[in-house]
Parts: sequence; C-alpha cells; structure tokens
Amino acid sequence: MFDTTLSPLPAPVAKAVAPIPSARHSFVLRAQERGHDLIRSDGTRSSYVAGHPDGFITRESSFNFHEYQSGRPGFGPIRVFGDEVFHGAGCGYNMHSHHNFVICAFVLQGELTHINTAGSGTVDRLRAGDYYVFSAGSGGKHCELSISQEDMNAIYIWFLPGQLYLPPSYHKGHFDFRTRRDRIEQLVGEADGALPIPNDIRVSRLITDAGKKHTYRPRSSSHGTYVFVLEGSLRCGDTVLERRGSLGISGVDEIEVQTTADTTDVLFVEVMMMDDDVIKKWERAQPGH
Amino acid sequence: MASDPIETVSAPLKRLMCLGCGFSYDEALGLPEHGLAPGTRWEDVPEDWVCPDCGTPKSGFEMVVVGYAEGGPELAQRA
Repeated sequence: MFDTTLSPLPAPVAKAVAPIPSARHSFVLRAQERGHDLIRSDGTRSSYVAGHPDGFITRESSFNFHEYQSGRPGFGPIRVFGDEVFHGAGCGYNMHSHHNFVICAFVLQGELTHINTAGSGTVDRLRAGDYYVFSAGSGGKHCELSISQEDMNAIYIWFLPGQLYLPPSYHKGHFDFRTRRDRIEQLVGEADGALPIPNDIRVSRLITDAGKKHTYRPRSSSHGTYVFVLEGSLRCGDTVLERRGSLGISGVDEIEVQTTADTTDVLFVEVMMMDDDVIKKWERAQPGH
Repeated sequence: MASDPIETVSAPLKRLMCLGCGFSYDEALGLPEHGLAPGTRWEDVPEDWVCPDCGTPKSGFEMVVVGYAEGGPELAQRA
C-alpha cells in the first residue's frame, strides 16, 4: 500500500479544531481533505499492483508520511489509515514482504481475498463485516486481491508494533451488522471476543440510527481516539462529521457522539499517544497549533 | 562521511523503521549481510541506500523507540 514512484500530492489540511473542550490534542479531517492516490497496474507498478492492464486502486489516506505526501504523519502508533477501493476483477496488491507493522483490514464492500505467510500460511476470503489483524513481526508476506467483478472497499490501518520481530500472526473476525446494532462493539484489542493485537490498541465499531447518543470511554485520558465515520453523520461536541470525516482526540475521559443520520457507522481507534518527534515537528509547523 | 567520533560515543544508538514495509535498521546491529557493520550510524549509511525489501529511500525511514521481542535482535541482524 505504498509506492515509491508516486509524486507528492497536495497537502490534506487537518484543521486544529477542538471538538471537545479541554482536549489535549485534537484535529478534524474532512473526507475531501485526505490524501488521494490513484494507482494503476501499469509500468513498473504492475508487479506491485495486481490486475494488469485494467486494474487500479484508489486510496484516500488520513495520515501521510515524509515526502510522499504532506499532512499529519500519524496519530499515536497509527501510520497508515487508508480507505481503499480495488477496481476491476483481479485488482489488488501482489504478494509482497513486510516486517513489524501490524496491518488491519476492515472490509466494507465486495470481497477481499487475503493470502499471508504467517505461521503455516492462510488463504482467506473476507466480505462486508469481516476484518483481520496481520502482524508481520519477524517477516511476513501478504497479497490482497479482489477477484470478483464487484469493487472491493476496505479500511486498511497500519500500526507500529509494541515489540519488534514478534512471531508473525494472523487473526480474523466478523462484525455482525444485525445482532450488534446500536452499541459500541470492540473488535480488536484486549476484550472478550476481540482479536488480539501486539500493542496498546483497541478498535471498536458502532452502527446505529439517527438521534442516538453513545459514549466512547478510552482506557485512560492518556489514550487518543481516532473517530472515523464510515457511513452517515454524527455530532461530537461542536463538530459535525459527515461520511468519511474523522477526528482525533486525546486528554479526555469520554467522547460522546450523537448520530444525525440513520445507519451511521463509526470506527473508534484507541491508541496510546507516543512521544513522537515526527508528529510533533509536523504539528509545530502548522498554523494554529 | 564518517560521524564525529566524540558524538558517536555519546549519542545513543538508534533504531529506524521503513514506513513502506516495516523493515528495521538498528545502528547497534548493522546489517552485515548488506555490507553495513554493527555500529554503523544511520548518517553513515550511504544516501543512495534503499530498503532492501521494498526500495524505500533513507528519507522514508522513521526513528522508533520500540524494544525487541525475545530473539528479535538476532533475526533483525539477518533480515
């Protein structure tokens, strides 16, 4: 999900807006302010992006790094939060290598064929509501493909691990839209039924209807929470987030969201805020910080 | 160009991670199989060096403060 041949893109500008008074760090990122890539399976990239000659991937990135894109470099240990669509049968990422990164995918539409080399290896097919945690650890390869005619949309999140060179691992889960409606359901991180992840991270999901209030409580006020609206809309403090809008906040004990559209679908990604020079340097360079 | 020897002694050894794929470079361990001896400072790694796994340039690496899992350093040195 990273291509060194891409040219720098216009900066998605994250505004320093405090959605909740007293929050220590907060930002709001609208859908259209995210970094945008369109990666075709052509030229030298056809070895990396599958589906040649017609396949192409679109990727909207909340966080960006170094000279490839400008914008906020991350949030706590999150380095990539990509809203990706694989277009065309056979499109995706061919088998490639990782170390250390913990990569999660949450499938929203279509079908994802995921192959990885963790342990004795896995070939998996994931549909809407399915998700996985792949920890590359001491070395693991993976391949991400959409093999049907329907476009595949997934959220990909990359986290820094709690330790380097862990044994590679893969876990898969399913979020049931029907039985788990109207409550914040933890999908990843220490909790009954949630997938394990080798860092202080929790990912939760809420699907609910208009006019409902829900409160997300991070484990401590030192944890930060990245709130991403998959579908629908919600109000959080003074901020209204529409589809694919997001905010990051830390220094608070709870985050109340009031949904303003039916079938509002939200991800909460809770992380330990790190003393991160790269992110701090970026924040200092932004007006309003 | 070699590092200032005084600074080399005093500055803590760094670990860096490739943001393209997660490959790590540890100054203490070097990458002997890629011609970088243990103790080679990041600034002494050639500017045209790229991640051996994914081709990301040096500027796409980020310093990390993350410890190793058991047996990790040995694996990292041979990665």
